[in-house]
Amino acid sequence: MKNRRAPLIHAFLLMLIALTAILPVGGAHADDLQAMMQDDKQWVMPAKNYANTRFSNLKQINAANAGQLRLAWSFSLGSDHGQEAAPIVVGDTLYVVGAYPNELFALDAVTGDLKWKYSPRVDPSSQGEACCDVVNRGEVYDNGKIFYNTLDDHTVAVDARTGKEVWATKLGDISRGMTLTMAPIAVKGKILVGNSGGEMGIRGWVTAVDENTGKIAWRAYNVGPDKDVLIGPRFHPYYKSAQGKDLGVTTWPPGRWQIGGAPVWGWLSYDPQTNLVFYGTGNPGPWNNNQREGDNKWSTTIFARDADTGEAVWADQLNPHDLYDYDEINENVLIDLPINGQMKHVLVHPGRDGFMFVIDRETGQIYSADKYDTQNSMSSFDIKTGRPVMVPALTPLPGKNVTGICPASPGAKDWQPVAWSPVTHLLYIPHQHLCMDYKASEVGYIAGTPYVGATVNMYAGPGGYRGEFAAWDLTKRKKVWAIHENFPVWTGTMATAGNIAVYGTLDRWFKVVDARNGKLLYKFHGPSGFIGQPITYQGKDGNQYIALLSGVGGWVGALANAEIDPRVRNGALGYTGAVNDLPAYTSGGSSLLVFALPPGKANAQQ
Amino acid sequence: MDNFHRIVAIIAAAIVIVVAVALALIVMPGSSPKPHQRLANGYSGIIPAGALLRVPVTGVYPGGVPAGLNPNMQNPLANDPDAAQRGMKDFDAFNCSGCHAANGGGGMGPSLSNDRWIYRSSPANIYLSIVQGRAAGMPAWGAMLPDRTVWELVAYIQSISQKPGRNFGDTTSLSPPSPGYEQVPAGQIQTTTPWKYTEPMPANGAKPGG
Repeated sequence: MKNRRAPLIHAFLLMLIALTAILPVGGAHADDLQAMMQDDKQWVMPAKNYANTRFSNLKQINAANAGQLRLAWSFSLGSDHGQEAAPIVVGDTLYVVGAYPNELFALDAVTGDLKWKYSPRVDPSSQGEACCDVVNRGEVYDNGKIFYNTLDDHTVAVDARTGKEVWATKLGDISRGMTLTMAPIAVKGKILVGNSGGEMGIRGWVTAVDENTGKIAWRAYNVGPDKDVLIGPRFHPYYKSAQGKDLGVTTWPPGRWQIGGAPVWGWLSYDPQTNLVFYGTGNPGPWNNNQREGDNKWSTTIFARDADTGEAVWADQLNPHDLYDYDEINENVLIDLPINGQMKHVLVHPGRDGFMFVIDRETGQIYSADKYDTQNSMSSFDIKTGRPVMVPALTPLPGKNVTGICPASPGAKDWQPVAWSPVTHLLYIPHQHLCMDYKASEVGYIAGTPYVGATVNMYAGPGGYRGEFAAWDLTKRKKVWAIHENFPVWTGTMATAGNIAVYGTLDRWFKVVDARNGKLLYKFHGPSGFIGQPITYQGKDGNQYIALLSGVGGWVGALANAEIDPRVRNGALGYTGAVNDLPAYTSGGSSLLVFALPPGKANAQQ
Repeated sequence: MDNFHRIVAIIAAAIVIVVAVALALIVMPGSSPKPHQRLANGYSGIIPAGALLRVPVTGVYPGGVPAGLNPNMQNPLANDPDAAQRGMKDFDAFNCSGCHAANGGGGMGPSLSNDRWIYRSSPANIYLSIVQGRAAGMPAWGAMLPDRTVWELVAYIQSISQKPGRNFGDTTSLSPPSPGYEQVPAGQIQTTTPWKYTEPMPANGAKPGG
């Protein structure tokens, strides 16, 4: 009996397995987001993957043929504010969100035809609450929906196929100075969102929103008592100065943590092995350090948190009692590196303060912190105590104009994210090279208005160049090559197995360089300065495409698209003086540019 | 009561009244009514409300004539030589410098240092922008600022904004460098007339003075 039935049962089981593989079973079938991140034909989140490597294995465009690239098509988003987003590509569709008013566009990834656009009713008053242009850093896909944030504090979910709104949840209040500008991530059915407003005395947090219902699942504050910061029995910080009860209260003057800043307007990464989310927090409020004695935890801190509950597992505060607005919201790239002969699971964090941090992502132990650009505001970083060694002569005292501080407030590198190539083993760093004069002054807190207390004047750093695209060797712990640019390089970057790296400049150049040595392979003069994040994908026509938004703005470039007087150096929180010639190079714009090899060259192998 | 005691009683009563009035003036800042009382009594600023209502925000009038409108209302503090100085302190105290930058260079909010105006440039237009707020994010300061403070701010803004030039338009170029000049940075000098202190604009974002 058994012998006759077994083959039939086997056949039946095989048929079932085959069916579940090929039939989409309504909403119950969850996308395997991690598999989609590995599929280089797609690019489903701005950072490419949970590890934030921004690296693609595509090789069709490579160092040998990149010189033949040409513009395949372009698309205008219709609103001339700074365009910092990364587009994403899911299947056949490219999605891109614009700066305020935060319209979301769905385009055919091959032809550029518009499929639909979603136009939220974003409150125009939110424009006056954003410190650094009305930017948006991008959207994310999961389970048939596109998720992104609007300037006026909504997180929205839109059906990826039809563009219809699924839910829109308001997470904060612009009248208290809060906005949303960051690109969220999707982890195990939750959308993780961080807030903006460190210049406005907001209270920073990360909020997890259920991706199906839009309801808040958990919220972890970055300042305040342990119960709000979700510091509990799982919290085991490596360094002594992070150990103690309610440090998010006691390291501030009484009550000041309530307007203490520590926003999360940068990048989140995720390690599925340990189920930990990593992110850094921004500056404490106000900028004037003399009004907030103490370490001001947990500003400028890298957190490791449980993705399901938000509970803190470890925390490293990189700039205790921040003096210069050195937010630490920059990306944390998750890779494995040899440390003292042993392979370790680390995160690489290019610090705003100018140190390249390599940190054990299980414990928070800092293995190294090397200066990657001109920096005199700290003499060194002590990896035993986990604290920088400051320079007393450069402390901003009330009313004292301290000169020659490097790096300037935007840091050695700001939000613009690096890329890591496992082929070249190099980290590609787009960044600026600026110093500043800084004068602190007393400021009063008025909800909905800036809580800063500083007059800043920035200018080019030593050597006279204001920006750089550099390649850093994490094993040798040094820069191996660098391209100087006239202006800060404010775009993100990406690298591929074809040995190319891509970035754009404020003076309108889209550039593709050889990832091994920095040789310029291709450049294109775009319609407006570039501050977006490049991506690459393969269309269903078999061609590889590279996409980058053009549209100058952001903290660095707002004076080229807005009513800012280039003759007053202290404008734009001090950035104006460093780029007061930018309006002679570009005006505002909002175009998506998509490049490919010419027809017929598409199949050329390296 | 005999005369002596009557005089003492009168003096004592007078002292009590004077102290009570003084306490009232000290404990209640200024002599203005509480906010909810102000609303109940209506507007009580320097310029009559009806006149302010007639200040246009545009130069386009049906029929081409601003009949009954008040396009050129002046600052009631125009003859107060210290108004701009006080306004400069108000500009920091109320975080105007946070959005508009020192000397009105602009940033989160538009520049107040140049001669371009979105809502017209007369003192009353500036006053109304402050009191009413504006759609792209200017808060409605009428909820917080006393009327005199607003006119002080107007005096300061009038003082820091560049007077309109002779040209119809402005040129921005690299060669020759245009505008080619900048204000001395606010970290070095605090003044209500920053346009009196200019220096050449260094090329390529270099530090002024080398």
